[in-house]
Amino acid sequence: MFSELIDEVPSDSSFKFNFSAKDNLCTIDFQTRAGSRILDGYRPPFDATPVSRLRRAGGLLIGKTNMDEFGFGTFCTNSGYGVPRNPFDIERSCGGSSGGAAAAACLLEDHLSLGVSTGGSISCPASFCGVVGLTPTYGRVSRYGLVDYGNSLDKVGILARSSSMIKNHFPTIAGSDPMDPTSCAQPTLDLDDTQIDSIAVPREAMENIHPSVRDSFLRALDIMRDQLSIDIHEVTIPSLRFALPAYYVLATSEASTNLARYCGMRFGVRGDDVTQHFNDYFSSVRSKNFGKEAKRRILLGTYSRMVGFRNRYYLKALSVRQTTISDYARVLKEHDVVATPTMPFIAPRFSEIERMKPIEMYRADFLTVPPNLAGLPHISVPCGYVDSMPTGMQLVSRHWSEGTLLNIANLWEGVFQYRFPGAQQ
Amino acid sequence: MKSETIEEVARIARLKLTETERTEFSKDLEEVLEYFSMLDEAPGEKEYGLNPIEILDMLREDEVRREIDPELLIRMMDTFEELVRGPRLV
Repeated sequence: MFSELIDEVPSDSSFKFNFSAKDNLCTIDFQTRAGSRILDGYRPPFDATPVSRLRRAGGLLIGKTNMDEFGFGTFCTNSGYGVPRNPFDIERSCGGSSGGAAAAACLLEDHLSLGVSTGGSISCPASFCGVVGLTPTYGRVSRYGLVDYGNSLDKVGILARSSSMIKNHFPTIAGSDPMDPTSCAQPTLDLDDTQIDSIAVPREAMENIHPSVRDSFLRALDIMRDQLSIDIHEVTIPSLRFALPAYYVLATSEASTNLARYCGMRFGVRGDDVTQHFNDYFSSVRSKNFGKEAKRRILLGTYSRMVGFRNRYYLKALSVRQTTISDYARVLKEHDVVATPTMPFIAPRFSEIERMKPIEMYRADFLTVPPNLAGLPHISVPCGYVDSMPTGMQLVSRHWSEGTLLNIANLWEGVFQYRFPGAQQ
Repeated sequence: MKSETIEEVARIARLKLTETERTEFSKDLEEVLEYFSMLDEAPGEKEYGLNPIEILDMLREDEVRREIDPELLIRMMDTFEELVRGPRLV
């Protein structure tokens, strides 16, 4: 699950806690390869802001966690550095793309994992590995030092065994940073307890869910209603069905431009023949070192931005994102959070993943993508166990309302016991 | 997707595809683009931004700062007598 690990834990006890960082966050003392062969050997000369802030708060960075190449994946099977295995069943996926981060959060007690989500890369692995994963509002945490996937979508968050651990450390990484202008328009973080009265459950999110996962989610809602006295309301958010294609258009468009910088000169690996013309040099380095999914997404994103297709795909996707934001705002005016299962199934076996087509993999993200597209904060908490594998519940709140999510997760932990592999049940 | 189209997209993206990749990606992209076509019927709003939240127009003071040692940056690149080595331009 780690792509690089500290050699030896320092004997002095001045560190207050330990943490790991997903391998797309720059770190001065470890390579930063973002799961890609093209970044092999890259050692950044600086720390990403969330990493430096945790270090200043007394954190010991113990290693970098494995991930899908540049964040391109739902199952963490697209890394150039091996595939992390699910702590509950090693024949199954950890989820992606922050798969290593979720496995570390699950297996190591009192460990904080920095993860990154573009379209669900914190919620999905949190759900598959049975841990809590907070994805903040877009712009809440500085992206300075993050290897970009989709600039208008990337968010740095935290995975851990409990919401209280996240609550303790989230204020450290949150807050404006002059090095990332998108972090500078945020209101003050408010983590005070608030009254949670009402949960909205979109009807559209209950379709195409594995029956046992749906039952587990419905049981969780019953507990919320009966033991926490929270009202549950069914709502409709018709635009949810368009969020997935809009997301993949925007994400691949942004990724295809971001990945243009990897050409064998400034970062990571170099080509072996500088006598080539630059076009041939760049193409040969990129063709040799990008993985299959990275190539697929570069091609897709390049196509969507081409003359003649830009209006149909890219600009339309931007306008659909606005509709999704408005639809959520309408529902969240009357309800505190929107709840759905996090993933439509439990962590799949690697043998099942091998048989899936790319489009089937993309479609598996249909529940995690909408809040990510809209830049809304969300949290995934374990909400049940099917065949000894965890299932997740995803809660979405208004922009900048991370406090509401941590509050409801904390209430949930008072009435539902999480399980971890190897622990006495 | 036609073979010429994917070849053109790959050229723009600076990727050289093998015959196997070309066939495989053509099929994959065809399926994904067919799925994307549902956006044609999606209701969209006239006003929209490039980001999901409002962004402040931030400018830093225009002053010289050196946060990262240039020597360090140069050391990470392929150099020859303090010159960065790169592929042929002409």
